[in-house]
This record gives sequence, C-alpha cells and structure tokens, in this order.
Amino acid sequence: MTTYFLLQYQFINRRFKDANLPPILGYLLAALLFVGLSLYLFFKTTFAQPIYIAIALSVISPLADNRRNDFLNLCFGNTKQHLVRVIENLLVTLPFILFLLYKQYWLSALFLTLLASLVALIRVSTTISITIPTPFYKKPFEFVVGFRQSYLAIFAAYVLTVIAICVANFNLGIFAVMLVFVICMGYYIKPENTYFVWIHSLTAKQFLFTKIQTALSYASLLVLPIIVVLAIFYPNNIGWLLLFWLVGSGFLVGIVVGKYANYPSELGITQAIMLALCISFPPFLLLLIPYLFFKATKRLSHLLP
Amino acid sequence: MIHINNLSKHFGKQQVLHNIHLQFEKGKVYGIVGENGAGKTTLFRCLAGLEDFEGEITSDLQPLKNHLGLLLTEPYFFPKITGQEYIQLLCNARNTSITDIASKNIFDLPLQKYAAQYSTGMKKKLAITAILLQGNSYFILDEPFNGVDIQSNMMIVEIIHQLKALQKTVIISSHIFSTLSDTCDTIHVLQNGSITQTVQKADFAALEQTMKNVTIGNKLQQLGLV
Repeated sequence: MTTYFLLQYQFINRRFKDANLPPILGYLLAALLFVGLSLYLFFKTTFAQPIYIAIALSVISPLADNRRNDFLNLCFGNTKQHLVRVIENLLVTLPFILFLLYKQYWLSALFLTLLASLVALIRVSTTISITIPTPFYKKPFEFVVGFRQSYLAIFAAYVLTVIAICVANFNLGIFAVMLVFVICMGYYIKPENTYFVWIHSLTAKQFLFTKIQTALSYASLLVLPIIVVLAIFYPNNIGWLLLFWLVGSGFLVGIVVGKYANYPSELGITQAIMLALCISFPPFLLLLIPYLFFKATKRLSHLLP
Repeated sequence: MIHINNLSKHFGKQQVLHNIHLQFEKGKVYGIVGENGAGKTTLFRCLAGLEDFEGEITSDLQPLKNHLGLLLTEPYFFPKITGQEYIQLLCNARNTSITDIASKNIFDLPLQKYAAQYSTGMKKKLAITAILLQGNSYFILDEPFNGVDIQSNMMIVEIIHQLKALQKTVIISSHIFSTLSDTCDTIHVLQNGSITQTVQKADFAALEQTMKNVTIGNKLQQLGLV
C-alpha cells in the first residue's frame, strides 16, 4: 500500500517535471493558487461553505471510477482497497479540510471529512445506461460530453440564481453566471486524441475559430437563462451582467486557445498561471489570448496544414 | 493516386521505416502484411499526416488527409458520446451534411447508446460506418477485421469490393490472410520497416505458403507437444 501512494507521489512529481517545473516550485505554486482561490471564494459569497464542499467532492469524484476501483480491488483485495480509497479521498480533500479549519468552520470540516470517507466506500453501478439528452447535438463534442458530465452542477447554478432572486443578492447571481463559465471551461481542460483534430478539413486558424465560436455560442446558451432572469429582476444592473458575460467569455476563449497552445500535451502550468493571473486583472486577457492563439496555430500546423 | 517516395521514419535514434517507395492507384485494393512491430501502423500514420517523416507523399487530391478515411486499429471514443453523435462529429469535421443516420446503420448498432460502452467489434463497426459516410476517396483500414463477428466480416469484405467498384483506393492491413486474398489486388510485405516483397493476386497462394514456411517452420516441434 505504501508503494502505491509513493507511486502516486512520483506520478504528481512527473507531471510537474513534464511541465518543466521543479516539483517543489510546483507544490508551492499549487498551494498559493489554492489558498488564493479559496480566499477569493469566501470573500465573494456567503454561500462559500456548501460550494467549497461541492468543489472538494467534485475533485475526488474521478477517483471513484469503477474500472479504477476494479484495478485496486485486483491489486489489494476488497478490505485493503476500501482503506486505500478512504486514505486517498482524505489526502485529496485535506487542503479543503485544513482551509475550513483555518476559517473555523468546524462542522463543515467534520462534515467534509466524513463525507469524503463515506463516498470512498460507495460504488455506483453502471449497468443501467441512460443517454442524457443535450441541446448541443449539432456539434457533438466538448459540450455534449461536458454537459452530460456536469448537468447537475449547471442545475445547481440555476438553483443559485433562484436563491439570488429570493434573497435579493445580486452578487450570488453573478456567481452563478461565473460558475456556468467555469463549468464550461472544464470541458476544455483535457486535450483530445490527435485523431479528432486531424479529421477536420480546416486549417489550424479555421479550426481554432470554429472551436471558439462553438464555445462562445454554446456557453451563452447555458448562461442566457441566468442573465435574462437577473436582468428582469435587477434591471439597473444590466451593465454589470453584460460585463461579467464578457469577462466569462474572455476566460473561456483563453482556455480554448490555451488548450491547443500546448497540444497534444495538457494545458501547460505556465499558461495556467498566466490565465490565473488574469483573474486579478482580466484586461490582461486581451494580450494573452492572441499570444496563446498564435502558439496554438503553430502547435496544430502539422495536423492541420 | 498516392505516391510514396523514399519515406523514412525515425523514433529518436531508432529507424522504423526505411526508404519506402509505393504507389496506390484509383480503384485498387492494397494489402500491407508484416509481423507485429514491422511498421504498418507507423506507415499508415505517416500517410495520414499524423506523424512527421522524411521523404515525400503526394496525391492527386490535395491535401490528402482531407480525402482520407482512417480506421485506427483501436478506434478511440470519448465517454458520454453516442454512436450517432460520433458519426455526426466525423461528418461535421469533413463538412459532409448527413441526414437520417439511422437508415445508414448497416451494422445495426445501438446508435443512441454511448459508444465507449460498445464492445470491441461494435466500436470498429461504428468507426467504419463513420469514415464511409464521410465520403472519402481513399481509405486506410488498419486491422478492420479484428474483433468483428463473422457476419460483419463478410459485410466489410463486400464494402471493400464496393469501394473498389466506385474507383476508391483502399489500403488494408490484416493478420487474417484469407480476408486479404479475398479483397486485395496487390499485397506489399513489410519487414523490419522495409518493403521486401510486392505480390499480385495470382501469386497470393504462393505468398501465403512462403509465409507459413518461414513463420512456422519447425518451431512447433520446439514445444515438444508430441
């Protein structure tokens, strides 16, 4: 079991090294980014605790993959496998738990600890397969796959919008808008197999423009109900709504071009840091997007001449 | 027509393809045979433009990749994408408009289910259907018969005959010699990254016999079963 966790540690180190980052610096930057984003969330909304717990649970959810658990079961046997799963869930949620303790949210910290341990023991059967309908069937790719994996989170954003209206909290509504954009950005994190870029009868530039167009139109489709409802209830704040729509769209475009700027590898840590820096100063996106677009066209040119 | 002129490929210091010269004509079916690791898939990936290479590949339709249907040995599928959406995705990528996909479902696949959950054979059949509906002029089929049931095997053989009749160019690799002798006009033997033999249809039986002799020889006796 110790070997397994040592291997995971080496695996993380290898990912930092692949991104040309010394592991120590990688851990430091990741910790700074984590603390920064956590502080930002708790500063921005009074609903930070449930959101924070939901984020922590979504981070550990890929570890519950059935095939992965089958493999662990083969390696360790049933009892030890459960122990491994509990330990890894606790290790991954540890930063969240520590931050909740730092903020003196004792109950939330305890709740997250118990929940993370409990979900490690639950196994969801995948024998029943239901195809979830999506409004994105015309261009079946990122948004079709992403929507089916995150429809509950989108539903949660819509629920937050209703709460924002009920409790007359416009900021919460804005948070819901940005949450939808963050979810959509998640659809573009993992690079696809090169085959799915190669198949396109497009040049690299045309390919990127098509990707951006799809991302913007489909993300707008998801965010539009929130914008319309907020605009009806807060007509004086339409300007702010449009501004956040624009900023969210900017980040989405940044992620799309960023994904291909390092293709076929995953989004580089340098690019991720640059995008993270834009959170504090969004106009920086105006420089970053053309830079990443240029890099992406170069990276794609051999597949899409 | 596709011309391969002096094609070589290195992975680091290791050369996996050596100065290959080949020509693929319209309305012909070509087989590429060779042991595992001989370089068949690498040759196909170079042809498709998925790998860098030294040498030259030219075709009458430019760029070649936009007219090429490529079936990978193990087609890759995203999670949570249905068979129908996969076909739509591949057709969209080639700007081919497609209507009533269900009526074109010749392999009777469950198109409304997630493709990632299909069996190996079903995945292959879905990938073949998609590249056929893209309206390509050239086809590279890397192990199209692997993992596919007998009925579908027969269907694939018929599809290849029809593609030939439609003046398409088909290049196949297969480890099942009978499927190659049923479909191909010419077979190229790839050995350690070099084309060592080119055989026309009339000599396929002799090629099969030679391959049996070379591959099997008296190796079975080494097992000491008798």
